[in-house]
This record gives sequence, C-alpha cells and structure tokens, in this order.
Amino acid sequence: MYMQDTIKTKYPPGDLALWIFICAELLVFAIFFAAYAFTRASNIELFNQYQATLNTDLALLNTIALLSSSYFVVSAIISIKENKQKQSTLFLFLSIVGACAFLIMKMTEYTHHMSEGINLTTNLFYMFYLSLTFFHFMHVILGVMILTVLWFNTRKGLYTADNHDGLVSGGAYWHMVDLVWLILFPLIYIMR
Amino acid sequence: MKYESQSVAKLYFIAAIGLFVGQIVFGLVMGLQYVVGDFMFPEIPFNVARMVHTNLLIVWLLFGFMGAAYYLVPEEAETELHSPMLAKLMFWVFLVAGALTILGYLLVPYATLAEITGNHLLPTMGREFLEQPTITKIGIVIVALVFLYNIAFTILKGRKTVITLVLLIGLAGLAIFFLFSFYNPDNLVKDKFYWWFVVHLWVEGVWELIMASILAFVLIKTTGVDREIIEKWLYIIIAMALITGLIGTGHHFFWIGAPEYWLWWGSIFSALEPIPFFMMTVFAFNMVNKRRINHPNQPAVLWALGTAVMAFLGAGVWGFMHTLAPINYYTHGTQITAAHGHMAFYGAYVMIVLAIISYAMPMMRGRKACNSAASQVAEMWSFWLMTISMVFITLFLTGAGILQVWLQRFSDEPMSFMVVQDKIEVFYWMREGAGVVFLIGLLLYVYSFFIGGEERTVEEKV
Amino acid sequence: MSEVFTKSMARNIFYGGSVFFFLLLLALTYQTHEAWPERDNHENLTDQVRHGKELWEVNNCVGCHSLLGEGAYFAPELGNVYQRYGNSTEAIKAFIMSRPKEGIEGRRSMPQFNFNDEELEAVAQFLKYASGINTNDWPPNIQG
Repeated sequence: MYMQDTIKTKYPPGDLALWIFICAELLVFAIFFAAYAFTRASNIELFNQYQATLNTDLALLNTIALLSSSYFVVSAIISIKENKQKQSTLFLFLSIVGACAFLIMKMTEYTHHMSEGINLTTNLFYMFYLSLTFFHFMHVILGVMILTVLWFNTRKGLYTADNHDGLVSGGAYWHMVDLVWLILFPLIYIMR
Repeated sequence: MKYESQSVAKLYFIAAIGLFVGQIVFGLVMGLQYVVGDFMFPEIPFNVARMVHTNLLIVWLLFGFMGAAYYLVPEEAETELHSPMLAKLMFWVFLVAGALTILGYLLVPYATLAEITGNHLLPTMGREFLEQPTITKIGIVIVALVFLYNIAFTILKGRKTVITLVLLIGLAGLAIFFLFSFYNPDNLVKDKFYWWFVVHLWVEGVWELIMASILAFVLIKTTGVDREIIEKWLYIIIAMALITGLIGTGHHFFWIGAPEYWLWWGSIFSALEPIPFFMMTVFAFNMVNKRRINHPNQPAVLWALGTAVMAFLGAGVWGFMHTLAPINYYTHGTQITAAHGHMAFYGAYVMIVLAIISYAMPMMRGRKACNSAASQVAEMWSFWLMTISMVFITLFLTGAGILQVWLQRFSDEPMSFMVVQDKIEVFYWMREGAGVVFLIGLLLYVYSFFIGGEERTVEEKV
Repeated sequence: MSEVFTKSMARNIFYGGSVFFFLLLLALTYQTHEAWPERDNHENLTDQVRHGKELWEVNNCVGCHSLLGEGAYFAPELGNVYQRYGNSTEAIKAFIMSRPKEGIEGRRSMPQFNFNDEELEAVAQFLKYASGINTNDWPPNIQG
C-alpha cells in the first residue's frame, strides 16, 4: 500500500459526514452556552444563588470520569495503529466504564433534584442547567452506544492498522462530548 | 418511460396543475378582498376563499407527491408498479372527494357543512388548513394508506435505493402525522400544541424528506452524476433537516401557553433549520456543475436549481428572520408570517413538484426526453415570471409586515389592527399586482404543454 | 483507499440523529404536559366554554381572525379581545350581534351568524377563557 505514503494524511481523520454532524452539534451547544452567558449577565443574583445548590464535587468526579474515558479512547486508537486488537478492545472497555460512571453519577444528581421538585419550569437558572446537562447527558448515552459498537467491532477484528476509520470517527464523536462537558462544567458549576 | 405503469403519474400531474390554477384564482380573490373588503361578500366571505386557497394548495401538492412517487419508484425499483389499477382508482377517489369538499366550502355555509357531514360525531373541522369535514379526512387517510401500500410493495419487490427509501419514510411520516388532525381537544392550549404536530412536522419535517428525495432523483437523471455521491448527500441533508426540525417545532410553542423553556429550545434549534436548505442549494449547484451529461430538458434543470434556491430563501432566510423569540414576539401573526409562508411553500414544495412534472411529463407523453425548443422556452419564461413575481409578493408583504409591526406592536402609541391595515394598503395593491403576474406565469406554464414541435436535441456528453 | 465520507456513516447519522431528537421531543412534550395545569386556564374550561370553542370551529372564525397569533390575518387578534373591550363579554356579544348581513360597503366585512343568546354567551366566554391563558406576555400590547 505504498500509495498511503505518497498521499497526504487525510484531514480531518475519519468520516467527513460525522465531522459535519459534530460541527452541527458543537454549533447548537455553542449557541446554548452563549444564551446562558447572556442570560446570566442579566440575572447574576438569581444564577449565583441557585448555582450554589449544585453538587460541585460530583461534577468534578464526572469530569475525571469523562477525561479518563477519552484518554482510553485515544489509547485504543494508538493500540490499533500497532495492530494490537486485544489491547485496543480492553481500552475501549475501560472507556465505556468511565462513561457509565458519568451516567450513574449524573442520574444521582438528577434524582436529588427531582426529589426537591426541581424541573425545567422552576426558574431560569434551573431551566438552563437542566436543559444543558440533560442535552449533554443524552449525548453521553448515545456515546456509550457508539463506544459499545466500536468495542464489538474491535473485538471481532474489524479494525486494522491500515483501516480503522470507524474507530477514529467514533472516537471523534466521543471527544466532542468530552469537550462540551469541559466547557459546561466550569461555565455552569464554577464560574461566579 | 421505462415502465408502462409509470404513466399513472400523468393523471396525478394533470390534476395537480388544474388544482394549482384554482388555488391561484382564489388567491387573487383574497388579495382583492384585502383591499376591497366586501368583494364577493357575503357569497364568498374571505374565510371561504382562504380555505379554498389553502386546501387546494395542500391537495394539489399531495397529488404532485403521489404522481412523483408513481413515476420514480418503478424506475428506481426497476419493476412495474404493484397495482396501477389501485393507483387510478385512488386518483379518482381523491379527486372526487376533494372536489366535493371544495364545492361544500363554496356552496353552503361552513356551519351547515359541519352539520350535514356529521362533524359532531368526531369534531375535527374549523382549524386552519384542517377545515375538511371529518369524513373527507377519513377519505384522505384511506387514500394515503392505499397509496403507501402500493408504493411499498413496489419497492419491496424490486431494487431498493436510498431515494425510494427516503421518499417512503417521508410519505409514511406524512400519513402518520396527519392522524394528529383527528385529535381536537377542548383545551385550547393542547389543541394548538398538537396542531403543530401535523403542520410543522409536515412542512419542516417529513415533507423535506419528500422534497430532497425527488430533487436527488431529478439531479441523477439530468446530470448523470454518480448515484453514490448523490445518495450520500441526500442522507446528510435529511439528517440535518430532522436534527434541526424536530426540536425546532418549539418555535411554534412560544406564545400559545406552553412553558417558557420553549422560547430557548425553539429559538436555538429552529435558527439552524436553514442548514439543510443551504446544503440542498450547494448540493444542487455542485451536481449540475460536475455533470457528466448535458440533458436536453433545460426547464427541468432550471426548476431543480430554482427550488433549492427559493426554498433556501423562503424557508431558510425568511424563516430565520422571524424565528428568534425576541423578534417573533413582535412579528407573530403578522404579514411577516404571510410573506415567509408564501415564499417557503412556493420554493420548497410548489417548485419541486413542477420540477418532477417538467422532467417526467414529456416522456409520459411519448417524447424521448424533453419537449420542443419552443415549448421549453415558454416553460422557462413561466419559471421566471412565477418566481420573480413570488419574490415581489414576498417583498411587498414583508414591507407591509414591517410597517404593521411598527405601528401596531412596537410603537409607544400602538394603533388598532383595522387602522393599521388601512395604512399599509399600498403594499397590498402591489402584492395583488404581483399576484396577477404570477397567474400569467402559471397560465403560460399550462400553455407550454400545448406547444408542440420537434423534440429538442443536444450533444449529451459534456 | 478510504473515502472522504461514506454513505453508511451518513445513513447512521440520519437514523441515529432522527431517533435521538424524536425521543428528546417526546421528553420535552411530556414535561410540557406536566407544566400545563399552571398555565392553560383549564379551571375556566367550563361546558359553556367548550360549546364556545365548538362554535368558534364550526363557524371558522380562525379563517379571518387570529387566536394567540395563529390563524388568518384579515381581521383582528381575538386572544385579548376580552381585555381590549374593557373586560366585557357584553361588549363582545354586542359586536357579533351587530354585524350587518350584507356587510359594510368597501370595508372588510364579518358575516352575521344569527347566534341565539346562549351561543353568543358561549363564544364570549370562550374568548374570555382564551385571554386567561399564560402566553408568556403575548401580545405586546392591547391592540393584539
């Protein structure tokens, strides 16, 4: 496959269709974040007051869970580039564990809110907090499904050093989900 | 025409054009009533002319979609239509039911129509675009189900392509969401909320799948571009349509009693609804630029490019202009809405039906690929007359709308509705003028079918 | 050699994305249902108001008027006509009753529906009920 050497490295890596989708998703989140920031500016006291009710410790743990999960996805891709299918499969499995940890911790947070009768209509802060985190939460669920498919495929030996576009594409989606959280966490939980 | 049974589409297309002419005649009546308020009152009050205008629009577009399906599915599936007999039967059932309904609107008071059609048994009449008697609605469901059965079985027994699959999903969605028209709760807020599950999920949802698949078919046939490329793009376009349009439904939930978070969700997602239309424009022009053949049917290519552009302008741009909640607060229910509605419907749905008719009709009438040069020139003239006059209709209504918003909604001393309508009268006269030009364009379009002559030929290879 | 983008990825994004957002729409619809009792003025949804809505529909009022901004734009918005007429159902009834059968020359004309007292009251009550719905402060002013 000497053609691989003479052709420039494909950019962006993976499937362009998915990158279009990723850009669209990032656009939606970006607009939502901007709307949040803009609204907060006119409602600082309200936002500060209710931000204080959030569980920052759990959110920090969530950040670690997602970061680790992304790290494992990167490791999986590095492994497959060395044709180490078994190792790659293990890394993918660990990434799914990290993602599930996120989901469980987030559901704990939501259960707490629900028990206090907090929902989308409670106030403007909670509307943004629940909308943004729930929208992200659904993307994490989708991410778990994608990672699981990738795990199955890697296990079956579908990806090789020469051909692992699907893995790279799926990984790109997961990194997007992680990136969104890395903005969401400081913006909503921390910044005062 | 590769398969005999494709010819049933001809019936549907002829009915479509006939009803289109009727629609525009009543549109002109309404336009005149806007400025000569008691024109044809009380024999044809404004609301009757309006329901005839809008219902004819919807029905002729449905005839167009069904004709498009009957034409392209056998060709794509590489097999004859499952039952041409059923297709012809349903044509007549739909046409007669539709005609009776329109006559019902015109000949008896609406309340009387409700009484004689037994509306009280299952009240579904009296809502915008869904004015049809309940029995007509049931008839529509039956026609739709038989149509879907026919098309689905044709696809099943033949070659399955992305185009037919997407078309089928769109058409099935159309039928499923129409069922919400039977749900008419006493609670006005619920009524309005679910009404949009028909209207929005149709025109900003499944109808976009229908439009995109027909456009893809016409582009494959007229450009010769590789099917794989066109089908890939089709998937991306419709993905973006539903990803933005499903939650985009929220832009109808701003002011009807739904919770406030819809102001945010609806604004954000519907602001992105122009994206699939933008992609369709780039896609259409790209495919034509990269074409491998010079198809001799010039008007068909013109309609295909035109529909992408006008849909983007009317649905995408004009839609975006009033979709954000802070703006919509002032423009909701004004001539801005009417401006957007007209260009959006014309660009997205009228033009795609005219595109497939333009492509398919010559062959169904025995030509090899297209009409004579004279006929094509006339048809292209009609394209420009209708399209440019529609642009002007939209511009005039936008002008009317801006002034209306300023005087009635925004000003410190807001004027009453009727006073404002008086003040923006000049725009309505100009709109009516543009409407007359539109009708002339449409009549020229019809006339072009009767211009004969030697079929136009060109050097096909690029 | 790998392609720039594949049809199967595009197809998966279409199916996955559509299902994802349809489920989200269902979730938000469910939440909307929960939020309604506080906003939809259902406490005033009496049998008389129900009758008024039925009359509104079988006479196709929405064919000329808008209600909460939806409908036709030939005649005034009626979602706040109750307030515009000084919080008076009598004033609304008087207007409907007074429409001349032949219309008003040169002016946009409203039909005479020949409602009886009970029907007039029902329509007026329906419009009063509509004006009590929480529409996030729409319309911007009394003119509708």
